[in-house]
Amino acid sequence: MPQKVITLCYRKIIDSTATNPWDKFIYEDSFTELKMQSQFYNQEGKYSTFAEIILNVPGSEKLHFLVSASIMGYLQQLNGIIPDVLDNLGRRFLTFENFKFEIINSDFNQIDKHKVAINFFSRPLLWHDSIDQYLLVSPFKEITAEETFTNLFQIQPFVSIHAIKNIS
Amino acid sequence: MERKNFIRSLMIGAISTPVIIDACKKTSTDGSTTSGSGTAGTTTSTNGSCTVAPTETEGPFPTKTPASFVRSDITDGKTGYKLTTKIAIGNINNSCAALAGAIVDIWHCDAEGNYSEYGGSGMQSTNYQSVHFLRGRQTTDANGLVTFTSIFPGWYSGRATHIHVHIYNTAGTSLSITQIAFPEGSGTALALVNGYSKGMNGYTYNNADNVFSDDKTGIEIATVTGSLTAGFELNFKLNVKA
Repeated sequence: MPQKVITLCYRKIIDSTATNPWDKFIYEDSFTELKMQSQFYNQEGKYSTFAEIILNVPGSEKLHFLVSASIMGYLQQLNGIIPDVLDNLGRRFLTFENFKFEIINSDFNQIDKHKVAINFFSRPLLWHDSIDQYLLVSPFKEITAEETFTNLFQIQPFVSIHAIKNIS
Repeated sequence: MERKNFIRSLMIGAISTPVIIDACKKTSTDGSTTSGSGTAGTTTSTNGSCTVAPTETEGPFPTKTPASFVRSDITDGKTGYKLTTKIAIGNINNSCAALAGAIVDIWHCDAEGNYSEYGGSGMQSTNYQSVHFLRGRQTTDANGLVTFTSIFPGWYSGRATHIHVHIYNTAGTSLSITQIAFPEGSGTALALVNGYSKGMNGYTYNNADNVFSDDKTGIEIATVTGSLTAGFELNFKLNVKA
């Protein structure tokens, strides 16, 4: 039977309701960094929101990238494990190397309007089967052993299949 | 997955699901308050869907860390002739005396003329290690000085070789955004590096550069000394109103 190798994307939204310390660090530090970096694209101080800058200033979409520097230290503290997404045993099981940081909204004068997202892209998974609402997956390896340890998990909000490849 | 197998998987699911469905039901007709024993099902607070709650050691415990820009060596494995950049910041409002505690960001392109950047197109992702190459941030010392280690920048079409600088006060308010130009002519670092693999064919010199061409007195041009083997040192004094 042909099998599928999938990559999952978890889009972790962080806004003013963030409570855990890691989320709050991301929230506060990305806001501070945005306030600093946005001044390059807002030299006359005409704009007070991220949306206005993106709409009016060519090249300002680089701010997503520039502000991402403020969260790199926190990403490294995750040790390559995607947070929040659990298998049916209640364990984090997804690993990542790739991410994409996004600023969703921000107002330089009101931190509570600040909202960001980190997209975590999982390492490739082999999709063995679907059982009820659950997917049975295991980390994809070039060489498959006779017995493979698997994870059973349910697709939850803000988790999606990012990429898929058929293998025979 | 083949249809046959898919149906079979549904049947397996049908056998195992009632327990979980019961666990998720809000109204229980038999009055029992126990959810199906043996399930780990509880509602997580994050998304409201019926999934398991975390059941493992908490952590890692996050610690406050500065932006990855904050470092003196910004090379990040980029190859090229070593360049040490020393920028001294003076305060125009204080007779150009050294300004301590100012935040200085610099960024420049690599030997091929490319900047670190990603995320232009929607689906593009990046590895979280060393994505901000050749970008750095330092805070001026008591002498108003910051030092960065990197490589001699290459060039790209339409621009003379340059280093971007953004100076902020301690609170992060922008004081000055500018660029540093390189001296030109025989024997200069620019001539020695010779545009790396690109050569200097099609290079835009300072007098034709859209940023530096109005700088008639050369105030934006740094002092650059050194050699290809020993590396180069760039010195530049920048005065801001602080």
